[in-house]
Amino acid sequence: MSGNILSIKDLVIHYETQEEVVEAVNKINLDLNKGEILGLVGETGAGKTTTALGIMGLLPPKVGHVIQGNIFLEGEDLLKKSQREMRSIRGKKISMIFQDPMTALNPVKTVGDQIAEVIRLHERCSKAEALKKAQDMLAMVGIVPERYKEYPHQFSGGMKQRIVIAIALACEPELLIADEPTTALDVTIQAQILDMMRKLQKDKGTSMILITHDLGVVAEMCDHCAVMYGGEIVEYGTVEQIFDNPKHPYTKALYRSIPSLDQDVERLHVIPGMVSDPSNLPTYCTFYDRCEECNEECGKHDPWIVDIEPGHWAKCFRYTPEWTGTPVADPAETQGEGK
Amino acid sequence: MVKYIIKRILLLIPILLGVSAIIFILKTFTPGDPARQILGNNATQEQIDAKRDELGLNDPVPLQYVRYIGGVVTGDFGDSYRTGEPVLKEILPRLGVSGIITLGAVFIGAVLGVLLGILSALKKYTWVDSLVLVISMFFQSVPEFVVGLFLILIFAVNLHILPANGIETPLGFIMPMLCVGLASIASYTRITRSSMLEVMGEDYIRTARAKGQTEGKIVYSHALRNAIIPVVQSIGTGLANSIGGGMVIETVFAVPGVGKYIVDSITQRNYPSVLGGALIIAFVLTIINLLVDIAFVIIDPRLKTTIIAGGAKRKKAAKPKAA
Ligand SMILES: Nc1ncnc2c1ncn2[C@@H]1O[C@H](COP(=O)(O)OP(=O)(O)OP(=O)(O)O)[C@@H](O)[C@H]1O
Ligand code: SF4
Ligand SMILES: [Mg+2]
Repeated sequence: MSGNILSIKDLVIHYETQEEVVEAVNKINLDLNKGEILGLVGETGAGKTTTALGIMGLLPPKVGHVIQGNIFLEGEDLLKKSQREMRSIRGKKISMIFQDPMTALNPVKTVGDQIAEVIRLHERCSKAEALKKAQDMLAMVGIVPERYKEYPHQFSGGMKQRIVIAIALACEPELLIADEPTTALDVTIQAQILDMMRKLQKDKGTSMILITHDLGVVAEMCDHCAVMYGGEIVEYGTVEQIFDNPKHPYTKALYRSIPSLDQDVERLHVIPGMVSDPSNLPTYCTFYDRCEECNEECGKHDPWIVDIEPGHWAKCFRYTPEWTGTPVADPAETQGEGK
Repeated sequence: MVKYIIKRILLLIPILLGVSAIIFILKTFTPGDPARQILGNNATQEQIDAKRDELGLNDPVPLQYVRYIGGVVTGDFGDSYRTGEPVLKEILPRLGVSGIITLGAVFIGAVLGVLLGILSALKKYTWVDSLVLVISMFFQSVPEFVVGLFLILIFAVNLHILPANGIETPLGFIMPMLCVGLASIASYTRITRSSMLEVMGEDYIRTARAKGQTEGKIVYSHALRNAIIPVVQSIGTGLANSIGGGMVIETVFAVPGVGKYIVDSITQRNYPSVLGGALIIAFVLTIINLLVDIAFVIIDPRLKTTIIAGGAKRKKAAKPKAA
C-alpha cells in the first residue's frame, strides 16, 4: 500500500440529466504505483475522462455525481475533502492535461500569465517571480521563453499542448493525468509530445495516468495498463502481461484492430456492434452483445474479477473454473443472440 | 492599427454624404415653404421671393446640395431659419447636454445589465434568474416616457429630491439618464447572460479550475473578459438606441439637448438645423463605433492580427443609424 500514490476503490459515477441517468463509471478499482505510468485504454464513451474528472473533483456540477467509492491519494480520501481543500490539491498535487489543447487555453490571456497563475496559486512568490518561473517552464517544454507575452492564437496546436503541459507541470505535481494528450495533434507532433512527456516524467519521478485509445502509445509509455469498457475496468495488469497474454475478449479484439505492417489492410479486425449505451447498461456482462467467446451463462450474470496471474486480472467468466461453454465462432450469430 | 483607423475615418465620408443626401431629398419633397415659415403669414409674395433667392431655394437641388456640402467641409452648417444663428453654434452646447445624458444612460444600462447578466448566468434556472428576466423585460417593455413620468411623480412631486425638469442643477441629469438607461438594461442582461453561460462551459474555464483557481476569480478574471466581447459590441447599437430614446426623454424633462432641438426644428421646418443635427449625430455615432472597435482590439488580442492584416473583415458592429 505504501507504494501506491493513487488507489481507487469501487468508484461509481453517474451523470443525472433530466431525461436519463448515465452510468458512466461502474465500480472500478485501480491502483497506481509511485513514479509509474498507468495506461487507461478503451473506446470512446468508456468512461475514461469521467474517471479522470472524478479524481480531479471536476465532474460537471449538478450533473455528475460520485455515487459511491473512494479515491485515495497517498492514503487520503479525496472524496471526503472540502472544496477549499480540493482547490489546494488541484494544480499542485494532481494536475490534468485535457483532451483538446486548442480550447484549453484562455484566448485573452498571455501564455505567460496562464502558466504564472497556477504558480501564484500554490507557491508563495511575487508576480515577477512567477512570470520568471513561467518562462523557465516554457523553455523546459521547448518554447522560446521570450514568447511568454504572446497569446494562445499565436501558437500552433503542438505548441499549445506544450504550454498546457507546462501549466500542468509548473508546480511539480505528484500525479499527472493526461487525457488523450495527443489525439488532436498530427502524428509527428504526437511522437514529439509523448517523448517530451516521458522525459519530464522520468526526470521528476511524476506518477501518471495516461488516457488513450492507442495501444501503441501504451506499449511505448506505460508500466501498467487498465482496459476500460462500458464504465468498467475489464482487464488490468502490467503492460507485458496485457500485451503478451491478453485475456479479456475485448482486449483481444482491441489488439486485432491495431493495424500492423505485416498484415493486409483488408484483414483489419473491426469489433462488431456498438459500444454499449451507458444510460441503459445490461445486468449481465456489458460486452456480451459483442463478445465472440461468450456462452449462455454470460447473458445471465455480471462476471466477476478473475485473477489470471499475480497482478493480472480480467473481468470475464471464461477464466473461472466453472467455464464450460465453447466459444461461439460466428460473431454475427453472437450478435443476434445478444438481443 | 493606425492604417486601420485612418481607413475607418475615411469611410465616414460616404456615410455622411449618404445621410445628408437622404435628408436633402426629403426636404425637397416636403410641402411647406421655409421662406414663408421665416417671414410669417403677413409677408408679401415679393418679400418671400426675395427671401427664397437669398436662401438659394430657387437653385436646382443638386446645386443646393453641393453648396451645402461645401459649407459643411469648412464647418459651416448654414444658419438656423428661426434664429439666424449658425447651426453649429446652436448645436454644440446641446450636443454636450445630450452627450452627458446618453453616456450616463449607456453607463447605467451597461453596468446594471452586465451585473444582472452575470448574476442570472451564475444562478441559471433558479428564481434569481427569473426575477432578473422579469425586471429587465419590464423596463424594456414600458415606454421610456412612462418610466419618466413615474420617476417625476416619485422623486420630484413626492420626495422633492430631484427637479421635475430642466438642467439648471446637475441633479436634473439624473432622471433622464435613468429613464434611458433602465430601458436598455434588458438587452445588456440578455447578451451578458448568454455569453457568460457559453464562456463558463468553455474548456479553458475547466483548465482554470484544474489549476485550483477559486470560482470568484474564474468568473471575473477568466470568464468576464471573454464574455464581455459581445457586450461591448452591442454598446454601439445601444448608443444609437439611447439617442433615439433620448429625443423623447429630452422632451419629457424639457432638457435642451440635440434631440429636442431636432424635434423642434422638424416641426418648424427649420431644415438647416435638422440637417446639421442629423449629420452631427451620424458623425458622432460613427466615431463611437470606431472607438468601440478599438476597444475590441484591446480586449481581444486575437483581433489585432486580423484587423491589421485583413482590414475591416469582421465589421459586423452596428452601422450608425441616422437620427
Ligand atoms: N456532462 C455529461 N452529461 C451526461 N452524460 C455525459 C456527460 N459527460 C459524459 N457523459 C457520458 O458518459 C459516458 C462516458 O463519457 P467519457 O467522456 O468519460 O468517455 P471517454 O472514455 O472519455 O470517451 P472519449 O474517448 O470519447 O473521450 C459517455 O456515454 C458520455 O456520453
Ligand atoms: S463474461 Fe462472457 S460475454 Fe463477457 S467478456 Fe467474458 S466471455 Fe465475453
Ligand atoms: Mg474522454
